[in-house]
Amino acid sequence: MDLGLIIYALNLAAIYSLMAIGISILWSSVGMINMAHGATFAVSGYAAWLATAAMKPIIATTFGNGALASFVMAGTLTSASLVAGALCGAIIYALAFLPIHDKPNYPVRSLIITLALNIGTVQGLLWFFGPRSQGLPKIFGFGRWEVWGTKIRYDQAGTIIGATIIMALTLAWLRYSRRGLEVRAMMQNAEGAAYSGISRQVTALPVLMLTGALAGMAAALLSQTIFVSPTSGVIPLLKGLTIALLGGLGSVPGAVIGALLIGFLEAIIGAVPFLGQRYVMFGTFIFIICVLIIRPRGIGGLLDDTRE
Amino acid sequence: MTDKVYYKVGRRPWEVKGHPDGHASRQRSRIPFTNRHWLKWRDVHNPKTLQRERVLVDKKPLWWSIGLSLLLVITPFLPNSLISVASIFCIYAAINILWTLIVGTAGIFSLATLAVVGMSGYIAAAANVYLGVPWPFMLLIGPAVGLAAGAILAAPSTRLDGLYYALLTMGVAEICRVFVSQLRALTPTGGAITQVDSFIPEDWFLQRPGLLLGFGGAFLLLLGALLVWRLVNSERLGMILRAAKTSREDEAFSEAVGIDFRRARLLVFLISSAALGVVGAFYAMYYRSISPTIFSLDQLLLLFAMMVIGGLGRAEGAVVGAAIVILIDKGLIELGPLRIILVAAIMLLVTIFAREGFTGSRDQFRDFRKRKAGERRAHRTEKGGEAMPEEATEILDKQELYYRRFNKRLRERLKLMVTPELIEEHRVNPLGHHSDALARILNYFRRGEMADKYVIMRLKNGEERFRIMAVSGIKGMPPRIVDDREYDALYDAYHAVFLLRINDLLES
Amino acid sequence: MPEILEITQLSAGYGPLRVLHEIDLTIKSGERIGLVGLNGHGKSTLVRAITHMTGWQQGSIKLDGIEIGGSRSLGAGRRTPSLVKKGIGVAPQGDAIFPGLSVRKHLECGAYTKQAWKHRKTRIDRVFDIFPPLRSLEHSLVGKLSGGERRMVSIGRMLMTEAKLYLVDEPSLGLAPKISHRVMEALWALPVEGAMIIAEQNVKLLSDRADRIIGMHAGRLRGDVGHVELT
Repeated sequence: MDLGLIIYALNLAAIYSLMAIGISILWSSVGMINMAHGATFAVSGYAAWLATAAMKPIIATTFGNGALASFVMAGTLTSASLVAGALCGAIIYALAFLPIHDKPNYPVRSLIITLALNIGTVQGLLWFFGPRSQGLPKIFGFGRWEVWGTKIRYDQAGTIIGATIIMALTLAWLRYSRRGLEVRAMMQNAEGAAYSGISRQVTALPVLMLTGALAGMAAALLSQTIFVSPTSGVIPLLKGLTIALLGGLGSVPGAVIGALLIGFLEAIIGAVPFLGQRYVMFGTFIFIICVLIIRPRGIGGLLDDTRE
Repeated sequence: MTDKVYYKVGRRPWEVKGHPDGHASRQRSRIPFTNRHWLKWRDVHNPKTLQRERVLVDKKPLWWSIGLSLLLVITPFLPNSLISVASIFCIYAAINILWTLIVGTAGIFSLATLAVVGMSGYIAAAANVYLGVPWPFMLLIGPAVGLAAGAILAAPSTRLDGLYYALLTMGVAEICRVFVSQLRALTPTGGAITQVDSFIPEDWFLQRPGLLLGFGGAFLLLLGALLVWRLVNSERLGMILRAAKTSREDEAFSEAVGIDFRRARLLVFLISSAALGVVGAFYAMYYRSISPTIFSLDQLLLLFAMMVIGGLGRAEGAVVGAAIVILIDKGLIELGPLRIILVAAIMLLVTIFAREGFTGSRDQFRDFRKRKAGERRAHRTEKGGEAMPEEATEILDKQELYYRRFNKRLRERLKLMVTPELIEEHRVNPLGHHSDALARILNYFRRGEMADKYVIMRLKNGEERFRIMAVSGIKGMPPRIVDDREYDALYDAYHAVFLLRINDLLES
Repeated sequence: MPEILEITQLSAGYGPLRVLHEIDLTIKSGERIGLVGLNGHGKSTLVRAITHMTGWQQGSIKLDGIEIGGSRSLGAGRRTPSLVKKGIGVAPQGDAIFPGLSVRKHLECGAYTKQAWKHRKTRIDRVFDIFPPLRSLEHSLVGKLSGGERRMVSIGRMLMTEAKLYLVDEPSLGLAPKISHRVMEALWALPVEGAMIIAEQNVKLLSDRADRIIGMHAGRLRGDVGHVELT
């Protein structure tokens, strides 16, 4: 395996784990399978596109054409997609969590509502913007680095580094802040959390906004590699869901390991001559199904077992 | 004298009720070859008129036959485009009903329904086109493929949790889509198999007679799916699964009493997969082709939306949901992408407000009304009723509740009247002329219930020795002796009984 | 002495089932009350009703003169966090612990309310003084602890807030007699500014030490037993 393949695999893994972690955290703390994650992804992509298109002339006039301009551009793009993602999270909170969170059958109903949101949003985007894909400005610029004889594209490196930083920040937030403690307590025992004064309604909002922002970040990073289109959220959603499952729903380390596994698997399947890109989806699904049949609770279950 | 209008007792005066003659023996026709009856008439007793009434307990069969016959009668008079909408409705309703069997009855949250339909459709179509199998045999190949696919899909369902299984089966459709569109032989048509032979003659295809024939076939398909639903859901298999359905404890319980619900679950899954195979073969014949769009996520979501809007786990929900979504999706085609947004919005609203879709809203409303009534009753009982709210719902004769309530209020009033003077008055003159308060209290005592009513027993004939007993109130059960005190005078015994009753009154 | 808790005509239950029937109970500041009764007679339900964890309730509960009960419950547990913030500390039955958090984090969770969060360090030290075995376990996961240690963590979490009313549900449940004695000793040794209710099946553990012992039978309080000398 050469370095290029590893970088490609890491690139995939970075984006997948951003999606999968969001789904996993949400499931374990709020008890919701967020099918609208894909819609959040697409909306953030469009928000970034709109924001950069609007800001382009302003940035060009104030900062000229240098490194500072592209830096400001990158800031606009990421902040726009982060804010849009967080807003989507707030909307999901208002529609899929708040009205039904103490009603019977909440997990299935919230899944259905988020699914409806996903369908509606994708069709809404299609109706409003049309099916044409939009290219976003390259925030990492064009070009390659030479590392040990392998060329690494800037956007790949940027994606990997950006995703790692974001994930590290999220995990640190979960681990060390008061809010994070609250989320972790709720993930592990909802009743105990209530007895400690941690309210589910109050905590769910920041969690949903955080996971939305993670999806937005994934959109901003992935937009460096592919174009933004109304249906661009579907594949990341499916991948994120299946990886969250593979990692064992609710397990953050499981999700990261799962994302790494799937990233490498896809890169390898794509590189094997007689399989090729067409069978990537096929291969990963078969792999995940096999893993889940052997270990029904995924990698997270495996981690729990070894811990004990 | 003007005629008074008497309304029938009950909440629904418009309801058709029979008034059977209690002496005549009851005649009911049965469904041929079974010992079941056509309609569920039940004789009930009306507590107010004290008459026997015959009511139709289950009105669903009536609604089903009215709806289906309306569809059958109206469709031939519709324009061509609407006929095909009706046929598509029938096909999707059939798929939904079979899916409901899997999700609702078997409790396996499988999303691979369309994948099974597609697989069997593809293989049946391929057999017809490439091997030259005549079309009637497609209807045999379809279920065989469906059965095989069901067997493969059912294997992991026992090991995986509901949610995991659902999301995995979603992947199956994706795998099928990729696989079909990668096939070399189908590349020129974009993965579709065309020129499939059909029960519709080729020169009738897309003409009015062909459309009507297609609708007839689709309608038969829907009837068949309903028959499968009825046979599986309401017979032995369905019963077994209903016992194990509601919770984990019920599962453990049914296992403990020897109900093999896992086997039943798999059986239902296999049966409905085979039936879905028939639908797949029919689908290929109806369109004379089959394309990879059947595996697409959008189709699956549309189907899921139908189930959700109608009500997950109910046959009528599957049909009503299919009707609503197909009318929006195929009937309002000029709206473009807006109609999918409309479907999504309906789905969202239905899920937020209804527990089980449109068809479940009636039950939900009833539950709501019952709860509110219970709340009000609890409020009243707090103010001085006798019955606990949970008990009150179980007492059939509501008169009884009001009687208890009245008694309680009466007791509260009487308690205030009990004074030492009053007791002294009774002691002096147990039988004689009483004051108003004492008369009221004694009146209340007189109409007390038989159970635990105090009586005086003369110990030996001719002797003035008395004891106090309490009547059991049950025929054949002897009275019990209250205490071992003996009284030498009848008046003392009278007064002792009075004191006992006063005591009971004050304690209540 | 001011009345910390004043319950009047409280009925509560789950779904259509009524478990508590018109309960009246008043607790003064500084009192420790033992609530005794057999399994399934409503001890835990009373604790859960005070914290709004039951499905529905009627009647009135006043905490330090402020009405906290009364209205129909909005859904189990919905108001519990706000009640905890108003000053109720709970060590629920079966502990309700967070298995993946360390003992220290767990105790910090208990100090979640704003005023307690500032003093969490000193308070954790106080809990360690009360339960010395926990000090050496500070960084180990709660899920790995033994039943007695978990119970200590659960009670310790309750003690992290400055509560007016502490509710301890079945502190001896599932523990070996020796350990349950130790846990109870620690509970008695606590300096309680507010009041404390201990629901317990084992009367022996409560006698001599509780200010009052109240029996509970079939969802009704059966009078103050006072000091019970058990033979």
